[in-house]
Amino acid sequence: MCLGLRLELDEAGLVYQPGLPFSATALEHVFLQVEPGERVGIAGPVGSGKSSLLELLAGITPPTSGQVLHDGQPVGRAGPKPGTIGLSFQAPENCLFENTVAADVAFGPGRLGLDKEEVARRVRSALEATGLDESFEQRHPFSLSGGEQRRVGLAGVLALEPRALFLDEPTAYLDPAARLDLIDRLVELNEESGATVVMVGHDMDELSRFAQRLLILDAGRMVADGPAPGLLADAGLLRDHGLEPPGTVTLAGLISRAASLPVEPFLTEEQAVEALARIMEGR
Amino acid sequence: MQTGNMVIGLFIPGDSLLHRVDPRSKIVFSFAFAVALFLVSSFGGLALMAAGLAAGLAVARIPPSWLYRGLKPVLLLALVTFLFQAFLRGGAPITSLGPLTLYREGVREGAFLALRLVLLVLSSTLLTFTTPPVMLTDGLSRLMAPLQRLRFPAYELALMMTIALRYIPTLLQELDRILKAQLARGADIRRGGLVKRARNLVPVLLPLFVISFRHADELALAMESRCYRGGRGRTARRQLRLGWLDAAFAFIMVLLIGGGIWVGRL
Ligand SMILES: Nc1ncnc2c1ncn2[C@@H]1O[C@H](COP(=O)(O)OP(=O)(O)OP(=O)(O)O)[C@@H](O)[C@H]1O
Ligand SMILES: [Mg+2]
Repeated sequence: MCLGLRLELDEAGLVYQPGLPFSATALEHVFLQVEPGERVGIAGPVGSGKSSLLELLAGITPPTSGQVLHDGQPVGRAGPKPGTIGLSFQAPENCLFENTVAADVAFGPGRLGLDKEEVARRVRSALEATGLDESFEQRHPFSLSGGEQRRVGLAGVLALEPRALFLDEPTAYLDPAARLDLIDRLVELNEESGATVVMVGHDMDELSRFAQRLLILDAGRMVADGPAPGLLADAGLLRDHGLEPPGTVTLAGLISRAASLPVEPFLTEEQAVEALARIMEGR
Repeated sequence: MQTGNMVIGLFIPGDSLLHRVDPRSKIVFSFAFAVALFLVSSFGGLALMAAGLAAGLAVARIPPSWLYRGLKPVLLLALVTFLFQAFLRGGAPITSLGPLTLYREGVREGAFLALRLVLLVLSSTLLTFTTPPVMLTDGLSRLMAPLQRLRFPAYELALMMTIALRYIPTLLQELDRILKAQLARGADIRRGGLVKRARNLVPVLLPLFVISFRHADELALAMESRCYRGGRGRTARRQLRLGWLDAAFAFIMVLLIGGGIWVGRL
């Protein structure tokens, strides 16, 4: 029903405090095209410009050089059209302000001119997607734990049901089960609605579960852009840029060394089993 | 909506002689310089002080674009002052533009007042350009320390200033974030009447307050857990020491200020 947004960066760069002695270049010469409905992961060491890239793509921070396009149209300084994008910063709980969880999540959709039932439906489904059941709806946001607040903040963004979702480390502060659950829900959401989803992540296991395509940043430059499985299996590349490969890839490396056999890097558990089976056959 | 690009405190990191002068010397002499500007009543005196200030700006290697940045807020005021004086002060008429008449004394006085204003602002910006905010409050608290005996809370005041200065950029950054996030959620802070606009600010201001209180809370806890028990008897890691550089600075400043007043009296 809702069509994904096409995102484009045309030699975009971002400098903080431009023209001042302590200006900081966060991004340089980034060319990028994201097709509608793609699931893109962004990885890179601390301070490499991941959040900056996300903000540029979302159109919420104007680049200091180059251009940002949504659906082929340059995004003006006023930002993207309301309702087209949803954006969750590293600490989405910082944006809570209503008296109840339900009211806070309803804030965004309430401003899109939808009828009451539709708003209520979106609130429910967003809360569900972030793993918060009905008992939370009437609670005061500040009476929740940090992790729960974070989920409410995220739900407030999901409830917009935007054409493109931008999430900055959405799984931080969640417990391991909730992390995987959230990732799976994001994938599901992307497949059902066709929305473009861009996510910044620190954990390669999570990214391998989420991303179709991976961007790797280092010191403000895009050092890799390609299908996620290929890049994630490249332990050397990841380590070069201060990243830790997914556990399965590390395991493949260890097995290959122990068996003194070349082992194709694998990502999923199924691929691991296949690879092991091949080794056994070879013996 | 680019609060992130706002410059607060206007400190320019550097290693010039002026950067290295003790903050106390700089504060005292900036103050003296400002007072002297009001004692000077001729262009000659102002010119001398302007020359001294220009030398200071050159020594501190302040980029010209920054001078403009520092002056921007008062340029309009200086211009208005000048125009007011030039047209309304009276004296010998020079020429008339429509219903307005330009007066010789008015132009002189207007230029004098505008120049004084500009020098006043430039001298205080030179202080903040070359002194990190923390050093400023450090210097101020040391200067005010004798007042502590009169039960004036000098340390506490200095600490409050330091903390405020420390958190302004942080809060601005958070404001920027919240603003962007809420705008993306459809918040609209630019349209509507006054009441509506004020109401629309709630999604932005409320979270900002919450964050500020959270910061304050965490900071208080952190300070207590590190045994902060009020200012009395605290020692500083950064020791301020007056050296030959301060002696030289004081010598030059006394000459400059004294000379300015002397020339200005003639
Ligand atoms: N408001 C700002 N002012 C000045 N410099 C900034 C600002 N925000 C970010 N930077 C700088 O820009 C660079 C990129 O920052 P960014 O937040 O995009 O990194 P990141 O990859 O998201 O890091 P992290 O993993 O810590 O979230 C960093 O070097 C940072 O110091
Ligand atoms: Mg970041």
